[in-house]
Amino acid sequence: MLTVSHLTKTYPNGKRGLIDVGFSIAPGSVTAIIGPSGAGKTTLLRSLNRLLTPEAGEIQLGNQEMRQLPPRALRLVRRQIGMIFQDYNLIEPLSALENVLHGCLGRKSLAAGMLGLYTKEEKKQALTLLEEVGLGDYALQKAGSLSGGQKQRVGIARAMMQAPQVILCDEPIASLDPASTHTVMTLLKDLAIQHDLMVIINLHQVDLAREFADHILGVNAGRIVFDDGPAALSDEALAHIYAAPEEAAYG
Amino acid sequence: MAELTQFFNRQRWQRAATLMMLALLLVLPQWLLHVDFADALFGIGAGWQWLGKNFMPNQAALGDLGEILHQLGRTIVIAVAATSIAGVVALLLALAGAKTTSRLPLVQMGVRLFASCMRNIPFVAWALVLLFSFKQNDFTGFLALFLMTIGYLTRAFVETLEEVPRGVIEALEVTGARYWQIIGQGVLPAVSAPLMSWLLYMIENNIRDATLVGMLTGTGIGFIFDLYFKSFRYPSAGLVVLAIIAVTIAIELTSTKLRQVLAQ
Amino acid sequence: MIETDISSQRRAPHPPAAPHAIANPARKTTRILLASLALITLYALATIAPDNVDLGVAGKSFLHNLDLMFLHPHLGQDTLAQLVDALARSIALALLTTLIGAVIAFGLALFTARNLAPAPLATAMRSLMALIRAIPTILWVLVYATVIGLGTEAAVVGLSFHSVAYLVKAFAESFEAVPQEKLDALRVSGARFGLVIRHALWPSVRPSLLSWTFIRFEINFTNAVAVGAAAGTGGIGYYLFMSSAFYFDFQEVGLIVYLVLAFAILLEMIAVALRKHLAKMV
Repeated sequence: MLTVSHLTKTYPNGKRGLIDVGFSIAPGSVTAIIGPSGAGKTTLLRSLNRLLTPEAGEIQLGNQEMRQLPPRALRLVRRQIGMIFQDYNLIEPLSALENVLHGCLGRKSLAAGMLGLYTKEEKKQALTLLEEVGLGDYALQKAGSLSGGQKQRVGIARAMMQAPQVILCDEPIASLDPASTHTVMTLLKDLAIQHDLMVIINLHQVDLAREFADHILGVNAGRIVFDDGPAALSDEALAHIYAAPEEAAYG
Repeated sequence: MAELTQFFNRQRWQRAATLMMLALLLVLPQWLLHVDFADALFGIGAGWQWLGKNFMPNQAALGDLGEILHQLGRTIVIAVAATSIAGVVALLLALAGAKTTSRLPLVQMGVRLFASCMRNIPFVAWALVLLFSFKQNDFTGFLALFLMTIGYLTRAFVETLEEVPRGVIEALEVTGARYWQIIGQGVLPAVSAPLMSWLLYMIENNIRDATLVGMLTGTGIGFIFDLYFKSFRYPSAGLVVLAIIAVTIAIELTSTKLRQVLAQ
Repeated sequence: MIETDISSQRRAPHPPAAPHAIANPARKTTRILLASLALITLYALATIAPDNVDLGVAGKSFLHNLDLMFLHPHLGQDTLAQLVDALARSIALALLTTLIGAVIAFGLALFTARNLAPAPLATAMRSLMALIRAIPTILWVLVYATVIGLGTEAAVVGLSFHSVAYLVKAFAESFEAVPQEKLDALRVSGARFGLVIRHALWPSVRPSLLSWTFIRFEINFTNAVAVGAAAGTGGIGYYLFMSSAFYFDFQEVGLIVYLVLAFAILLEMIAVALRKHLAKMV
């Protein structure tokens, strides 16, 4: 269970990123965050694993409060939160397998991790994950030589390698063609159900949110303006989410 | 139409200004140096002729071949060692100095300033000051090459590290990996090709420069060239030049080939 | 669902990979290279220690001299006016040889670029330039000093020679980077070779030629200093040589180093401004 309450983030330039945001998410579900550009979708996602630190509120993962964790403890909690990115962010000269193995660095000792001394079990696990995302044959291929959709699936396998409770996806399909988009979204949905994960996805496409999400959060001008299932996402609700932000939202 | 005229007028004016600048840049040095261009032009042909006549290695010069090859070998070994060690030091400095891998602005500034100074201190100064303390031996040549390489490599490495996208480092940070794990498994593999390429380029350069450094510090191939040249043993000096040409071209070809493979 | 998508992709742009059997030549080369460098370095370190010098004493004396140089720079034998004049001469030498080199190199590069010159000529030029580059600048200067006498002329010819060979390679590579279509666009309009160069090639390569010329200027400045010291052709290098190897006056060496540094930092600032300007030009 991930519970967020009263989360507020103000940027150094005075722009309000998040205003009193609160919601909760159940395991085994896909949550889509939708809203106009600049509404705070990315700010929200990045606050959840503390790539950004909000100045007020609570982020509760299980029974761990995350917003105020010191760096060392933060590293331990971060292992439970995987993340995938729009630009995949793989180390391109390394093989797909090695990129997946990066997911277990957080569990390894400093020296073993630095030198890349992975155990047999870890390698086996990484290969299994690659097979699960349909890339078993590409394990030793250079990540840079894969197609966009394949790279994103390596990214997903890397996140799964962390054995996470949560996977955050920042515009995971924005750089992909329609066929790969479908593959990646289906994969995320299946993983959420099979591994009892909380998958949280920033999306631009409302129709994809409707098709794949169990739960939709609408963000506008830093506030949550919609928090319900896809069935409740009426045209009226959509108009509300995508309404021009009021001037008052910016400090 | 008026706009069009203006555009071409401005272009013409700019062209004139550039030509004026160029003329100034040529006249000013000439005013200081008083180069006799007739003399210089004559010298070009005469120089080649002189080389052909005097620098042809003869039977006697071949007797020096053993010594020449020995010194050449030492020079290469020392240039490689100095560059490699400078590379290790430069990598550590660059990690502390690059915006992607260091979060301390003051340290970043310090590393840049250090690299910039080291790069620009004339290596003649290093060579001569080292010669005074360490006397005439291979170690002096090694230290001189090391000191003149470190600034260049630090700057090159900092620039290379800063080309790693921030997102790639972020992606590893969110797995809970520690700093050195991110460096070892993420950053270094991502930039190993350009880093190696810089290292090779620097080795190539240092082997070229080793002749000059050797002349100043009295070591290696530069020293024996100076020795033969100043004692008028031109055929032997010519043999040294041939040996340098062979090695330089071989190294250039090898390093070009290696860089191609690395870039794959 | 996933299965079908993946199998369709597997057939598409990427050839199926043989699992577990892909060698990575880049990484293997890196490893072999690093191992060889480490071995050579270890061998060098093992054999390098001089037998006639106490490294502790030498190190101390070196540090002491560094202290004199950098923390107590001072005028010695020469006046500040003399040093500044010498520095100006070194800069002038670098400027002159770079400009001469750039002009000649532009002409020669037209016969060296593979997309402009016939292949045999291009190859011949390339080899000749590689040969000239392989001979260190200092040797050219020494040879010319012997033939036309010790003086500025020898330095000018020697430094220009190497600059030409360096810039021809750089310029030719810049020319080759110009897309063939750009040249063809003018060629098919019936423009002469000279006009193709002037209106298609020149505008496209101007920024890159300028930046290579500037890089060479920095190299030539370093060389001008070095040549003054090693061949005695004057300039700030000569003063550097005299104060350190003849008078052992490290305080003056320090002052000269600071003078050179000041100019070099000015150059670096110009380089940064130039790069910004060039970025706008492209």
